[in-house]
Amino acid sequence: MPRYPSIPESEVTPRELFEARRGFLRASVALGAVAASPGLFWPRSSHAWQGLLEQRLATELPSRDLASGEAPTAHGDVTTYNNFYEFGTGKRDPETFSHQLVTDPWSLTIEGEIDKPGTFPLEDVLSGQTLEERLYRLRCVEAWSMVIPWVGFPLADLLKRHQPTSRARYVVFESIHDPDNLRGQRRAILDWPYREVLRIDEAMHPLTLLAVGLYGETLPNQNGAPIRLVVPWKYGFKSIKSIVRIALVEKRPLTSWEERNPEEYGFYANVNPAVEHPRWSQARERRIGENGRRETLMFNGYAEEVAHLYAGMDLQRHY
Amino acid sequence: MKHHAPIYVFRLLVLMACSMPAGWLAWQWFCGNLGAVPSEAVVHVTGRVGLSLLMVTLAFSPAFRFTGWVGFMVARRQIGLWAFFWLLAHMLAWMGLDQYWDWPWIRREMIELPYIRYGVAALLLLAPLAVTSFGRVRRAMGWTAWHWLHRLVYVAAGLGVTHFWILTRADYLWPSLYAGALAVLVLLRLYDASAHRC
Repeated sequence: MPRYPSIPESEVTPRELFEARRGFLRASVALGAVAASPGLFWPRSSHAWQGLLEQRLATELPSRDLASGEAPTAHGDVTTYNNFYEFGTGKRDPETFSHQLVTDPWSLTIEGEIDKPGTFPLEDVLSGQTLEERLYRLRCVEAWSMVIPWVGFPLADLLKRHQPTSRARYVVFESIHDPDNLRGQRRAILDWPYREVLRIDEAMHPLTLLAVGLYGETLPNQNGAPIRLVVPWKYGFKSIKSIVRIALVEKRPLTSWEERNPEEYGFYANVNPAVEHPRWSQARERRIGENGRRETLMFNGYAEEVAHLYAGMDLQRHY
Repeated sequence: MKHHAPIYVFRLLVLMACSMPAGWLAWQWFCGNLGAVPSEAVVHVTGRVGLSLLMVTLAFSPAFRFTGWVGFMVARRQIGLWAFFWLLAHMLAWMGLDQYWDWPWIRREMIELPYIRYGVAALLLLAPLAVTSFGRVRRAMGWTAWHWLHRLVYVAAGLGVTHFWILTRADYLWPSLYAGALAVLVLLRLYDASAHRC
């Protein structure tokens, strides 16, 4: 079976054009390096990560299939059927409006209960991290699912670098807040900015990924560019997009959805076909691109890897 | 009864306005413009059109009272039947396109998800209204009984708005607009009842 769904001939970039683009990229990177090296012309943080990341994505990356050999969902569906309320609540709103998101320059603030806090340009966050491709299932709380080839690195690798203190019990994530450009944030549908929280052991779990790429390319804006969380055993809303701030804390704040509707959206939000939801039956799911329904798997099929994190907990209560 | 030309034109406009979304939907499906999950788009569009037409149906009586133009009363049954048609299509689209006629699951979702119960209840209330909307049945029933029965349309509209309200995940703009419109229509009806004692 082919690795990805086949692409019609008409959509394949002609070789000359591809090579011209590569040449342009190399030239741009070289030019960028010259410009950035003495730090004389402009601050280092501007327009730096995109070219560097593209260069790394163009090389052969290690690839892991963590979706039991299931075929990836079509690229066209992954990039046009999105929940990203910063751009509107319609499934196509993110694709339509996310060009308004400015992703380069981008910096990430890492603070709280860690020894090395600060605000870092994205290129510094990415440098030294080993990128790999991972094929994950994604299960939305709205009872649909996809199989997605992300590119990223374990969140644990970033956290370890900044050395959490012994008081760090939870990791708080915040998305970008920019109502001028993000039209969805002009209305108080949620208490912006979007906020998510993981327990520290969930955050340090090797499956918890910070994704910067999709289908071998940098993340499209509608999928949470330039850097997003992917927690494959939890409902999709836990996998926060376009992250600008990560804080390690002792006491956890409410997540955005918990604050909005605590009966429906628990803190853990582990995929669990046995916990009913008033809006969507969670026992089954629609795999985008397929007809019919599939049975939803406990922990979205990652029980072997993550069930021990919740040993002894009543998951009907801690949903 | 002899109708004036404007009434025929109005009825024709109602016919066009109520049937057009069906053609549009079919064309968009054919062109592949309904997104990653076309069946979901069909369920949403049929529901929206149906609920909107139900509101418009309720608005025709006050429109007649305010303007005195008989065209609204002549076209009221027509548009009411269109509303029923769209809401029936909405339920069938959910059962067929979304649930693939999987009856055990349809039953289970009805039990598990309250908004589905409200929606089905609304349609069950509307069914006898559609059946008794024809002249011969109406005359056989007698005016008073018919009138009482057809007041159920307000209950059905309330259930429909409730259905839309509770299935909405975060953005209550549209459900609020429907709820507001229904509140105004109910108040107009009550005002009219108190003014005319009927």
